[in-house]
Amino acid sequence: MINLIPCRLGLLIAGSFALIAAGSSSAFAQAGFSPLDKSNPAASKQDTNLKPHATPPMAAPTDKLPVDKLKLPAGFKAEVWSSGHPGARTMVEGPKGTIFMGTRQLGRVYAITNKDGKREVKVLLQGLTQPNGLAVKDGALYVLAINKVFRFDNIEDNLDKPGTGVELTDKFNLPDTVHHNWKYADFGPDGKLYIQVGANCNICEINNGIHGQIRRYNPDGSGMEIVARGVRNTVGFDWHPVTKELWFTDNGRDWAGNGGPEDELNVVAKGKEGSFFGFPYCHANGVPDPDVKIPNPCAGVTLPAVTTGPHSAGLGIRFYTGNMFPKSYQNVAFIARRGSWNREQKFGYDVIVARTSGGKAKLEPFLSGFLDEKGNAFSGRPVYVHQMKDGSLLVSDEQNGAIYRITYQAKSAGKTASR
Amino acid sequence: MGLVRKYWRPPVLGLAVALLSGEAFAQGTPLAERIQACNACHGEDGNSKMENIPSLAGQPEFFILNQLVLMRENVRQVEAMVPFVKDLKDDDIRALAAHFAKLEPKASAEPVDPALVKRGEEIASAKRCVSCHAANLGGQEQIPRVAKQRIDYLTKSLKEFGDGTRQGADTNMSVPVAGLSDADLAALAHYAASR
Repeated sequence: MINLIPCRLGLLIAGSFALIAAGSSSAFAQAGFSPLDKSNPAASKQDTNLKPHATPPMAAPTDKLPVDKLKLPAGFKAEVWSSGHPGARTMVEGPKGTIFMGTRQLGRVYAITNKDGKREVKVLLQGLTQPNGLAVKDGALYVLAINKVFRFDNIEDNLDKPGTGVELTDKFNLPDTVHHNWKYADFGPDGKLYIQVGANCNICEINNGIHGQIRRYNPDGSGMEIVARGVRNTVGFDWHPVTKELWFTDNGRDWAGNGGPEDELNVVAKGKEGSFFGFPYCHANGVPDPDVKIPNPCAGVTLPAVTTGPHSAGLGIRFYTGNMFPKSYQNVAFIARRGSWNREQKFGYDVIVARTSGGKAKLEPFLSGFLDEKGNAFSGRPVYVHQMKDGSLLVSDEQNGAIYRITYQAKSAGKTASR
Repeated sequence: MGLVRKYWRPPVLGLAVALLSGEAFAQGTPLAERIQACNACHGEDGNSKMENIPSLAGQPEFFILNQLVLMRENVRQVEAMVPFVKDLKDDDIRALAAHFAKLEPKASAEPVDPALVKRGEEIASAKRCVSCHAANLGGQEQIPRVAKQRIDYLTKSLKEFGDGTRQGADTNMSVPVAGLSDADLAALAHYAASR
C-alpha cells in the first residue's frame, strides 16, 4: 500500500556529511548537557524510575496503528495518511505538495509524495544529527541538524538526487551543543528564518547570549536578531494569521515534581521582540525555580498566554486558516502534545486547541485516545501538525512512524463522532 | 582516518579479519552466519573476551535493535561495525537483537578492584544510575545493561560520554559523568562490571 523506497544516493550523501563531520576534531558536536546542571531529582520526591520513553527506530505496521482509538469532536474523522517512516516528527510542505519530514535520533529526512492516490516515502537524507529543523522557501528545502544548515534548491525536482545542498553552517554559526538543540525552524511573515536555540541542560544558569533563545536570520544566515530570551526548549512556533504575532510552545523543566512547572504557550507581542520569558529563574505562570534561586525571580519576566499542562510536552503548533473545518476553528491554534515522561501519571499524548485573544489563550481538547489513563500507558505520540491545502490537518506520530489525516464533514457528524 | 576509533584494536580472529578486509555481507546472509561474525569479536556466547569490545549477552532486546539501526544509518559511527551493519534489513536486526538478548551475561576475566567497586557504588548511588539502568543495572528498553559489562569498555564509553566524542548517543549521559575524574569513571566501571 505504501512504498518505502530507500534512496541509495541519500545514503552516499549522508556518508559524505559524516566524513566532513569527522574530518576536523572541532566538528564533533558537544555532548549536550551543561556541566552546570542543577537538577535535584531526590528533592523532587518523584519516582526514581522515571526515564525518557524509548522511541522505536522501526515503524509500526500499518494495520497496528492506533487510529481506531482516536477520539475527535463531532464531524471530524481521523485516517492513516502515511506510515512506514520511523521517527516521524517535523512536517513541511513544498510548493508541489511534497511533505518533507524530519526526525531526531534516526537522523533521516523523508520526502513523502502522492502517487496514484497513495503515499510514496523516500529517505531523502540520512546520517544527520537530529535533523528536526525543516523549512521551505521559494522551492528550496532548508535542513537544520543541531548547528548544521543546508539548503537544497528546487528540491522537488530532485527528490531522487538531492545532492549535497548548499552548506550555510558557518553563516548561521549556531552552537554545536546537542541537548535541547534539535532545531525547530520556520520562515516568518517577514521572510526571515526563525530558529530556536534551547537551554543545554534541564535546569541551569545558561549563557543568555547563546542559549535559551528564538533568533531570526536573513535566509542566507546574515542579520541575526534575538526575538525571545529565557526560553527553555521551544520546538514549535507559528504566527497568528491576523496579528502576525509569534506564538511558541515551551517545555517546562523536569525533576521539580509531578505537577510541573507546567509547559507554556507564549506570545511575543508586537514591539516586544527580545522579551525575557523567565528561564531558568521563573517558570509557568510565575513559579520560582527551586534549584536556581535569585531574588525576585519573576521580575521583568513575560508570563505565558496560558500554561499547557505538567510535563505534557507541547511541541508543534499551527494556526488554522483552511476552509474544511467549521468557522469556529478559523485562526485557532492546534498544538500537538507529545506526552510526559517525567511524571508518574502520564499526561498529554494528544492534540489540543488554543483559542487566542488579546495575548491570552483558552485550551480545549481536540484529538485524544493515545493515552490509556487507567493503564497509565500510551499507544502514540503526536509531535507536529500541518494544514494541507484542502484544509485537512496532518498529525505526525513519532512512536509509530505514521501520519494521520484529520478531516471534517458536517453531514456525517453523528456517525464519526466516536472515532 | 578520522573515523577510526583510537581505542579500537583489530581483531585477531580470521573470520573477522576476512570480513573486515572489504567483504561485506551479501543481503540474505543466513542469521547463523551473521551471529558467527558477531561472535568473532563479541565472544562465542556474546560475552566479549576482547579488549574494548562490549559484551552483548543479556542486553535489552530494544537496546541492541536501536543501536544496530543507528549504526546502519551512520548516526552512531563505529568504523569497525560498518561492514556488518550496512546491509542489515530490519528483520535481520530484530533477529540479532532477539538472539543476543536471550544469552546469559557473564563477567569478563578482567581483575576487579574491591576498593574501586566500593567507591563506584557510592558514585553510582549519588548519580542515580539505577533510575535508567534498572535496579540490577541490567538495563531496560533503550538503556543498556552495564552489569557484567567489560571494565575497559565501560571506562572507554564513560570517557566518550564526558568528552562528547560518542556520536549518536542520547545526551542524557553527559550529565552524570560531568565533573568526574578518570579515577571516578574507572570506579564506576569496576562497580557496574561486578554487579
